Amino acid sequence: MSKIVRPEDSVLRRFLLLELFAGLWVTLKHQFRPHVTQEYPRERPELRPRFRGVPRLRDHPGAEGPLCVACNQCALACPDHCITVVAEDRKGGKGKQPKSFHIDYERCCHCGLCVDACPTKPITAIYMSHDYEMAQYARDDFMTDLRGLYEGHVPREYKR
Amino acid sequence: MFGTTEMQINMGPQHPSTHGVLRLELKLDGERIVDTRPVIGYLHRGCEKLGEDRTYAQAIVYTDRMDYCAAFAENLVYAEAVERLLGVEVPPRAQYMRVVLAELQRIASHLIWLGTHAMDIGALTVFVYGMREREFILDLFESYCGARLTYNAVRVGGMPEEFPEGWVEEARRFCDVLPSRLDEYHQLLTANRIWLARTRGVGTIDGKTALDWGMTGPCLRGSGVAYDVRKAIPYEAYADLDFDVPIGEAGDTYDRYLCRMEEIRQSRRIVLQALDKLPGGEIRGKVPRRIKPPKGEVYHVNEGPRGELGVYLVSDGSEHAYRCRFRSPNFVNLQALPDMVRGHLVADVVAVIGTLDIVLGCVDR
Amino acid sequence: MSETLLRFVVVPVAQIAVVIAALLLIVVYLVLLERKINAFMQVRLGPRRVGWHGLLQTVADVIKLFTKEDITPRHVDRLVFLLAPVVIILPALAAFAVIPFSGGSFRVGSVGVRAWISDVNVGLLYLLAITSLGVFGVVMAGWSSNSKYPMLGGLRSAAQMVSYEVPLGLSVVSILMLAGTASLVGIVQAQESAGRWFLFWTPYPQILGLFLYFVSGVAETNRLPFDLPEAENELVAGFHTEYSGMKFAFFFLAEYINMVLVGCLVAVLFFGGWLPVTFGIPGLREPLSNFFPFWGGAGAMLTGFFWFGLKVFLVLFLYLWMRATYPRYRYDQLMRLGWKVFIPLGLGHVMVTALAILVRRG
Ligand code: SF4
Ligand code: SF4
Repeated sequence: MSKIVRPEDSVLRRFLLLELFAGLWVTLKHQFRPHVTQEYPRERPELRPRFRGVPRLRDHPGAEGPLCVACNQCALACPDHCITVVAEDRKGGKGKQPKSFHIDYERCCHCGLCVDACPTKPITAIYMSHDYEMAQYARDDFMTDLRGLYEGHVPREYKR
Repeated sequence: MFGTTEMQINMGPQHPSTHGVLRLELKLDGERIVDTRPVIGYLHRGCEKLGEDRTYAQAIVYTDRMDYCAAFAENLVYAEAVERLLGVEVPPRAQYMRVVLAELQRIASHLIWLGTHAMDIGALTVFVYGMREREFILDLFESYCGARLTYNAVRVGGMPEEFPEGWVEEARRFCDVLPSRLDEYHQLLTANRIWLARTRGVGTIDGKTALDWGMTGPCLRGSGVAYDVRKAIPYEAYADLDFDVPIGEAGDTYDRYLCRMEEIRQSRRIVLQALDKLPGGEIRGKVPRRIKPPKGEVYHVNEGPRGELGVYLVSDGSEHAYRCRFRSPNFVNLQALPDMVRGHLVADVVAVIGTLDIVLGCVDR
Repeated sequence: MSETLLRFVVVPVAQIAVVIAALLLIVVYLVLLERKINAFMQVRLGPRRVGWHGLLQTVADVIKLFTKEDITPRHVDRLVFLLAPVVIILPALAAFAVIPFSGGSFRVGSVGVRAWISDVNVGLLYLLAITSLGVFGVVMAGWSSNSKYPMLGGLRSAAQMVSYEVPLGLSVVSILMLAGTASLVGIVQAQESAGRWFLFWTPYPQILGLFLYFVSGVAETNRLPFDLPEAENELVAGFHTEYSGMKFAFFFLAEYINMVLVGCLVAVLFFGGWLPVTFGIPGLREPLSNFFPFWGGAGAMLTGFFWFGLKVFLVLFLYLWMRATYPRYRYDQLMRLGWKVFIPLGLGHVMVTALAILVRRG
């Protein structure tokens, strides 16, 4: 436990408005410091490798067929219940593959639990991408299907 | 012939400085406040109910959304409560990592408080400076867990991931710059006569009243009561770390301001110590994939940036909590607002809201 | 064209047109300057999208404000509500009628043109009178809005402007005594013949006077740290909360014009108006008061504009700088400061100045 330190106070200091000038000095100094903001659409933010954008699907570069085994683990782990997987038999092999795979981006909260749950480790079929500009014109557009999940979000032109 | 009537005025929920969607019904006599009634609930999202409907791992995601300025502290307290229910031991490395992140979160949260509090009182620039330093911390969190605001960065039984490469050095760099930046805030505010005039003797509350209201955190310590969960009931690795808990005397806005400013320094000290002592080893304790705690109940607290954060969980042995309840320091501290502003002027309401440092997401849950 | 027509109609009208146009231009760029300076002090960049480095940002804003739907809320007192912006902007503009912007003169035909619209021998009184009219606009706006926040703002503002009028007047009184005239041109000429600005007047430099004048001026124009009437964190937007579009633009304009006015007056009263900055070296005076000697009087006028503009700019910069730095006073504290500190200080200042004048006369 410790007492807080109070700034010293003297008559001279008060009378000559010293602390007011000290404040002015701080802001003046900053006038000549480089800016720290980004001009957003023109300058893109630098994302850290672990950045969690919207979840997407990917395949193993070398392997045949989809990496996802349609095990539904991600859908179970998702706190917002925004993943829907429909499985079908894997073409030319045993096991399963997703017939359809939907993520409702409108509800996704980017928590990353689906990735934690995915069993195809170390490269998980579902992963947190670096896409973050997800605005849409209609609510339905947030529902993303297999194609959208593989190819990423394509902004749609707005037409009235 | 001429009488005066009290004027009733609504402050919020769409008011620039009620920090979200707080609504205050003020009764004014001229500009003097006769009575205040906080009206809350505009941001109620049912986090507690959701915590009973989701599994223990999923519920952590919802704690993020309560106090969005200090999401990590909420993650932590919930995970700790579940760990106590389960009776798992958190490996030491994870404990230290949690301390580091929790203290960084405390600094970030206090910086937001400083910025908004100063801006409410009219000092526009401090807000931007505070945000600039907070940006560092957000970057640190982004590179640790990938998110900048709602982290979901704790798992029951440990931590989800190791610190990435270079993270510790980056955190140290931040701790190196922080003191000089703090000095700048002090130069702008601490001795400034306008700041003193606006904060000294405003929203005074003495230690006993504050305790009676159940206030915690810097709001209580500003009134001279030395209560800090980190010292009182040490959790995680706090028992091994050396830090001071600053306490004020007068219990006014100015003392709370000084307390928080000093807490930022102490948090920095803790971060540096914890980084130095960071042990090696595992980061996840032995927790089954499906978390099914035995029947029982637990109430767990820790020290969030705004005061004592509590979680009460009742387990019926299934995957979901039977009852989940959060003790929000914001909610409790807010209760004292009418007492603190009575007899002051309208402008002081804004200062007091700032000094209580409420986050409406946590008040309404 | 007859000389009378030229002298009494054409030239004054032209002058007024020039002053108003220049004023609007200055305000447009003052707003931009404010945003830029604030931004730089806050390690940001400020507006950058419209025009080169945001140079046209305010122009865009003005166009936006003027083309916006003109909303008059249903519950307002219509006539007063509409009148308030006009009442607030007219005195602000009218005050510039007596400001001498520069020395020198040139001739159009047989008529000499000077850099002021008129030189009234009671110029200072006129200014004090007309600037205090502005408060009516504020009160009217606050009252007619028929809404709680604007009313609080209007009342605060009325109290504040009325209180700070007094120290403002007091600091002007000592200048009046020093110059021996209430004509603004006369005041500058007095500083010219004395060879030094009133700020450095011996044996009693008017530093306290400048301080009083400037701070009261900031309070009069409702700027931070005295911007209580529109303290956006307490009263949302103060007396003009209910205004939008063009009517709001008028309030905005009036505020900035008043800032420029305070800048001009500080320059005239304390910094010697259009007189050059000579650092006390008499030899510099001649070359610095006319950069373009081959143009004669017109050259002197242009040079005067430069010096005058420089001084006004410095004052305005201080305004913006303070805005970026300080928190805001509380209403009662402001009143206390005005009545208990500034008015006694002002009275004392007047007395000391009077004594100093006696000492100087011997
Ligand atoms: S990131 Fe979270 S919310 Fe989004 S799909 Fe994955 S589990 Fe669901
Ligand atoms: S993405 Fe992963 S967790 Fe989800 S269904 Fe496919 S394999 Fe299973």
